Amino acid sequence: MEGHQRNLSLYDRFNARVVGVSVDDVTTLKYWAKSLDLTFPLLSNVTGFLGASFGVGPSPEIKGFPVFSRRTVIIDKKGIIRYVRDGSPDFKEILLFLKKLNQEGGKP
Amino acid sequence: MRKHIGMLLCFALVGTMLSSCATTETTQKPYKFSQQGTVIWNDEFEFKPPPPEWRVIQVEVGGEFGFGFLRADRGPFPSQSMFVYDEEPFGCSTELGERGGEFFKRYLWSTAMIADMKILEKKNVNVLGGEGLAVLAEGKDPVKKEKVKSKVVFGKRGDRVVAFYLTQWRHIDGTYDPSAFEIFDKFVASFKFLKKSFYETL
Repeated sequence: MEGHQRNLSLYDRFNARVVGVSVDDVTTLKYWAKSLDLTFPLLSNVTGFLGASFGVGPSPEIKGFPVFSRRTVIIDKKGIIRYVRDGSPDFKEILLFLKKLNQEGGKP
Repeated sequence: MRKHIGMLLCFALVGTMLSSCATTETTQKPYKFSQQGTVIWNDEFEFKPPPPEWRVIQVEVGGEFGFGFLRADRGPFPSQSMFVYDEEPFGCSTELGERGGEFFKRYLWSTAMIADMKILEKKNVNVLGGEGLAVLAEGKDPVKKEKVKSKVVFGKRGDRVVAFYLTQWRHIDGTYDPSAFEIFDKFVASFKFLKKSFYETL
């Protein structure tokens, strides 16, 4: 998430916004965001339905804990999912994709 | 009103999303030597190499740092010295002083040091052809009976903050070896960018 925070100005340049989704509760996220100086929105989704709707399930790597896998999803302005990647975000790939998407969409 | 082309959704569990700092050695060398004896790393960086007893280390994916050098030192565990160049040091600010504060909130967290890092010295320096910030810090863990002394140098690559850092681990009763810090300083002073970064060309 720190990586996304570092890239906020670049996301802005490409007319994109970032939202973090977690199964942690609001209080946990509040303190966590403060500890990392995150300024973009974090959504608390303790039941995991939002993640499930994007195909995010429990991580197979950590058994016995309610840990969800990491997934990055990019949705265009029409609401169409254009990019899905599992695991740690590839920030350079994300930025290049957003740049391309912005060029496709023209100036806002 | 501004329309947003895209939105990123990032799913994660806060407690487990922080990356590990495992290092691996690569079999394919990402570097070559110039005729002047400097190292050209991935055709992107140039620097004077440390003495041969320092082994190259590199993180493959999702690590905390890009590449660096490791030396096993004499003495009881955990006697070793390591320094790295990091394109994405902890923190987000593009202001060096603020970034330093953010950085030390998380620096060496994965080593489970019980004691916080104590800042011994902080001073402005010239690095990478511009303004920089050098911080000397030390942490001690009386339970694990180990300590670490570290020097971190923050500099700029374009608008973004990059960092070099050296850690020297010792048994809590051990003595630090200043020669590693001198080698680190020479490495940092010699470090050059051979081309613009990804972010500068985006």
